[in-house]
Amino acid sequence: MPSNKCSDIMRGMGPRAPHRTIAHLDFDAFFAAVEENCDPSLRGKPVIVGGGERGVVATANYVARRYGIHSAMPLRTARRLCPQGVFITGHFELYREYSQRFRALLGEYSPLVEPLSLDEAYVDLTGTELLFGPPVETARLIQRRVAEELKLSVSVGVATNKLVAKVASDYQKPGGFTVVPPGQEAAFLAPLAVEKLPGVGPHLLEQLRDRGVVTVGDLARVPVPLLRLSFGEWGELLAHRARGEDPCPVAPREEVKSISKEHTFEEDISDPGVLESTLIALTEEVCRRLRSQRLEARTVTVKIRYADFVTHTCSRTLPRPLDVDEVFFAEVLSLFRQGRRRRYRLRLLGVGLSNLTPRAWQDDLFDQRLPLLRELDLKLDTIRERFGKKAVVRGATFSYNPSAVSYTRTSERAVSSQVRLG
Amino acid sequence: MKLVTNKQALVESLATVSKAVSTRTSIQVLSGVLLSAINDVVTLAATDMEISLRAPLSAKIEQPGAVVVPARIVTDVARTLPAGEVVIEQRGGETQVEIRAGESVFDLHSLPAADFPQLPQLAGEEFTVAREAFIETVERVAPAASRDETRPVLTGVLMHLEKNLVRMVATDSYRLSVKETPLDTSVGKAVQAIVPARALTELVRIAGSAADDRIGVVLTENQIGFAVGGVTLISRLIDGQFPNYRQLIPESFDYEVAVGRDELAEAIRRVGLLAHKNSPLRLRFGANMLTISAESQDVGRAHEVVPIQYSGDELEIGFNPDFLEVGVVAVKDSPVYLRFISPLRPGLVKGATDDFLYLVMPIRLSD
Repeated sequence: MPSNKCSDIMRGMGPRAPHRTIAHLDFDAFFAAVEENCDPSLRGKPVIVGGGERGVVATANYVARRYGIHSAMPLRTARRLCPQGVFITGHFELYREYSQRFRALLGEYSPLVEPLSLDEAYVDLTGTELLFGPPVETARLIQRRVAEELKLSVSVGVATNKLVAKVASDYQKPGGFTVVPPGQEAAFLAPLAVEKLPGVGPHLLEQLRDRGVVTVGDLARVPVPLLRLSFGEWGELLAHRARGEDPCPVAPREEVKSISKEHTFEEDISDPGVLESTLIALTEEVCRRLRSQRLEARTVTVKIRYADFVTHTCSRTLPRPLDVDEVFFAEVLSLFRQGRRRRYRLRLLGVGLSNLTPRAWQDDLFDQRLPLLRELDLKLDTIRERFGKKAVVRGATFSYNPSAVSYTRTSERAVSSQVRLG
Repeated sequence: MKLVTNKQALVESLATVSKAVSTRTSIQVLSGVLLSAINDVVTLAATDMEISLRAPLSAKIEQPGAVVVPARIVTDVARTLPAGEVVIEQRGGETQVEIRAGESVFDLHSLPAADFPQLPQLAGEEFTVAREAFIETVERVAPAASRDETRPVLTGVLMHLEKNLVRMVATDSYRLSVKETPLDTSVGKAVQAIVPARALTELVRIAGSAADDRIGVVLTENQIGFAVGGVTLISRLIDGQFPNYRQLIPESFDYEVAVGRDELAEAIRRVGLLAHKNSPLRLRFGANMLTISAESQDVGRAHEVVPIQYSGDELEIGFNPDFLEVGVVAVKDSPVYLRFISPLRPGLVKGATDDFLYLVMPIRLSD
């Protein structure tokens, strides 16, 4: 009976479901696995993909990990640990192609697919029972299909929210399948090390350890007011996360609404020279991404987080959209000088561009320098695309210091590559 | 108040003042037209507090008086009345105003004339300018003024009068027009003001059909008044510093090309249909040949070749087609001279003889 069937579907629909079912899928050693697919003779050997501008390991396969190699490790260290390893620079076009096939496959099961990067994605399976059966079985089917159709291993976490699903997918890698039933979120997280919680970086971890917090359960037992006192708004958010609560929806990314970049200092900083050169470097980076996406921006935002986690943002909107570094440098520095109202050291700085429109490149008679400055930016973009982001750097960014020791070296290299180009 | 007029006169006078009726106001009386029959003269007046317009209405006064009638509905009523005599009457003690023509009778709510703002009576040096020369100057310059209220100064036209010369300048920051016009009358001392482009455009509309060959001008510190054909237009002046436009104009140009005015304007209009905000009109100057082209991603592309006399280096430059067309059309004679420095510097549009120039900033072309 059509009418009965209709009401059945209604009963199973999302809004009526008592809880959500979200899967987080994460490829196991993605780049290395794709390389092994292309060249089966690599199987069983330690494969390390990495190189390019940063000279660090992007992915190491599980054989290589036995030698102690892990991602973000300098390649030089990896070579020392495993001289017989196969080092590959990487074929990013190919990885992108795999990633697209993966997303298309997820799209068959839900319209709510949120890719996080090339190799991981969330999919919201809430309310798909009547179409595909129990969501947990659907997640298992997806894992099987990825193995058969893409010949890749993926780890899956299924839970009632994104946070717990992500932790669960990492729970038994590689090839894991972890389901956290509704109501079990806090219990699942409690025994895990607190750094397993997304958002807990090395700096925060240190502060938590100082307070005797080792596991997520320890964190959940800290009274919320205390967390708020130590970490401000972020502390409150942290309290929720420790209990496995995360209301964020799975949001399919559509058009770009903003472009931003943040930098967390290794140590809290108050030196205005370092702070300002960091802002310049962040601005350069967001402007470069703006141009590469053929956009112009009208609004620029500076984010300032103090050592005690109190965070301020301030923004300004230009009379018309632009894409020239120099314009945003001036705005960002003046926003920062106005917006830094406390004499605390800073933990983080961020620069964001929003109010984006497709680039028009209609310049203004009142500032006839801008088109010339843009030519400079476009030339720098081309050089950076070919020789790496650090191939050319502005003098003003010299004291920006993302990795304390290696920076001097990269800037020396930048100077020498400038000479070669010249 | 009671007066007798005719349909045609009423429609015309209402049309003249209606442009000053406020469209977005919370002050109700500003959405009306003041109708006054005093001292044997009938006038209609409207104001939106920026500009005010006053026009005569030929009518026979049977009983003097004044009333504010709602502009929109009265204009619609007047337009649809049967031709011939129209009687407008407000009886003592009533708030309604009655409009009668033929067998039709309208009783409309009105507002007391006392609520209507006092229209300014300008006191200052009065002088006259030649109607045609002045109007032509406005028509060629005002289109470059900005419509963006965030920079009020740019929504105005800089008007400079000196001896027997008027110079007008307008820019929306993407283009700039400047025109100097000799006047056959002389101004006592040099005066300068930023007049809202909208007021000047209204003046063109009113003066275009006027029989007078002179426009009377009164300038005070913050207002300007124009009188032509019995109609008075008073506008607030824009306060602020007009940009120093002279320094925007490059001293010299490296390329100069002469192109037939109408051929160029038509080609820009045609090919421009395929350009849009994010894809400019492309002009490529080659040996004796100007190629104008445009491409819109989801629509298609177009190109057209215009013969020119040119033997210099090849140059390719992009423009917003509307901006370029406005400049070319504002040149009155053929050929139009285009001057350039590089695809990143402003281009100049000029005629052979007169004192008009139009500077326009290009759009960078993607390679």
